[in-house]
Amino acid sequence: MVVQASNRQETRKLFALPRFLTAEHPFPWLLPATAMMVIFGIYPLAYAIWLSLHKRNVVTRANVFDPAYNWFKVLHDERVWNALGNTLLYTVIALTIQLVLGLLIALLLDSDRKGYSILRALMTLPLVVPPAVTAMMFLLMLDGSFGVLSRSLYALNLLSPAKPILANSSTALAGVLLADIWQWTPFMVLIMMAGLRSLPKEPFEAAAIDGATAIQAFFRLTLPLMSRVIAIAVLIRGIDLFRIFDYVKVMTDSGPGTATETLTSYSGRIYFTGEFTYASTIALLTLIIVIVVSTIFMKLFRVKL
Amino acid sequence: MEQPVHLQRLRDIVAILIVALFMFPIAWWALTSIKPMSAMFNKDKVVVFDFEPTSVNYRVVMLGQSRSEIAIESGSTFGVGGSSSYDSRRTILDSLLIAIGSTTLTTLIAMLASYALSRMSFRGRDSYLNWVLGQRFMPPIAIIVPLVTMYKTVGMRDTDNLYLGYVGLILMHALINLPIAILLMKSFFDDVPKDVDEAAMIDGASRWQTFGKVVMPMVRGGMAATAVLCFIFSWTEFLLSLFLTTTIRTVPVKITTFVTSTGSEWGFISALGTAAIVPGFIFILLVQKHLVRGLTLGSLKE
Repeated sequence: MVVQASNRQETRKLFALPRFLTAEHPFPWLLPATAMMVIFGIYPLAYAIWLSLHKRNVVTRANVFDPAYNWFKVLHDERVWNALGNTLLYTVIALTIQLVLGLLIALLLDSDRKGYSILRALMTLPLVVPPAVTAMMFLLMLDGSFGVLSRSLYALNLLSPAKPILANSSTALAGVLLADIWQWTPFMVLIMMAGLRSLPKEPFEAAAIDGATAIQAFFRLTLPLMSRVIAIAVLIRGIDLFRIFDYVKVMTDSGPGTATETLTSYSGRIYFTGEFTYASTIALLTLIIVIVVSTIFMKLFRVKL
Repeated sequence: MEQPVHLQRLRDIVAILIVALFMFPIAWWALTSIKPMSAMFNKDKVVVFDFEPTSVNYRVVMLGQSRSEIAIESGSTFGVGGSSSYDSRRTILDSLLIAIGSTTLTTLIAMLASYALSRMSFRGRDSYLNWVLGQRFMPPIAIIVPLVTMYKTVGMRDTDNLYLGYVGLILMHALINLPIAILLMKSFFDDVPKDVDEAAMIDGASRWQTFGKVVMPMVRGGMAATAVLCFIFSWTEFLLSLFLTTTIRTVPVKITTFVTSTGSEWGFISALGTAAIVPGFIFILLVQKHLVRGLTLGSLKE
């Protein structure tokens, strides 16, 4: 009996898994996620970098190794600079409006009174509308002849029927921005509301006793205490804005001309011409800018997600 | 700080107006979907409520009837024309299948990874977390070209093999959601004190038992919220579906094909759009509590 038992223990030891395969080691837990991200994330990314070092002949469909070709082309392509300008303009305007509106609406809706919880729940609804659907929705509402928003703007004399908002190169970006602002201001509202909820009560009570007005309390207390929340919201939203694709693709398809062309939509346009290596290069440029800017931002504002 | 009554009234009114402003596009959209063409394209005035509601748009988009059939049936031939490519039943099934498939996959994989990241201390843990976060911010367009080539080589495009096409898109949606799911679930695991695990293991439970029978039930709500968010992200995803598939059409891609060179099909666009919004609305109301945490990848809690 005793011998058998010890024998069994021996066999178990012999067939025991190496330690890194046991449940005590993080390896098996992280394996599926890592494999997935390497095969479908890192490998294609490395492949994209490799592609960007090749010149593609669109007619013969041959890639020729020429490391400087695409990167040189990017720097001297006026459309890239135009797209970068549009992307930055779009990001900065949308971010500013969404942040300010989001903060104001959060202050407005942050109340324990009856009914406000329903208002807050309604406010989150735009977030789940597929961006492509939002884009179609605003495309129709901004339609030059029958769109309800266009017609309202005509009636208010803010817009002339001769120059429909999306068909005019000086206003098209504003039209696209409208859709983005509608969809993503609620994101800021939600996050700012969470920030307001987490504020400590004491400083505000002390300020009230000292006779501070509500406006003073907002600028001296609310804003500084919310700085971390605001920084996180700006970082996440900013990166998503910089990658903007859906609205531009659906509403104006980068047009009229190149008036609303952003880095990602330009990359997409090049992709459809068949010059895959150049499309990859522009996409990588976008990625590089995102990494650099967000790293600086995170260092500067000492935020960590 | 108690506000005077009249100020409070003013605040109520402003709050309702602002929320109404944000609800207007959705309401207008839903209203357009039941308007007849004559009300949509009225040259003289914007028709708001004075029209005969019609179900034509939904019958074409959701039931796959052809528009000319309906027109003959009702005796009006205004605006008849166009093919039956507006039938979106397949599209809705495609979208559901891909959203459910990718959500299941992401949730399972993320569950394991986030448990280890929350419970075990090992070298490189912080860098791993940063790496995961980095994946979240990668523009999908950067990997599209290589992916299409990869799928072509392996024969995984939907034009090569329909079933593998589904698998391909499911994998990609799962990948896009994975970083969010991992970071979010980790934040839920972090909420459970480590003592719970230790107590269970002292009582003789193995790691797997501790994970499956002790900790998992404690974070059930968080897991559900994560899954719901993954579903919504997959349901609304546009770029990858647009580039990776041709015969499989998810709802966001399909709806953009309703703008044709001969004009936009407003009725069908608004009907499918309204239908596409419904699942998201139902789901988001279920996860209100965890929404902020989900949208900030677990870094802010409410």
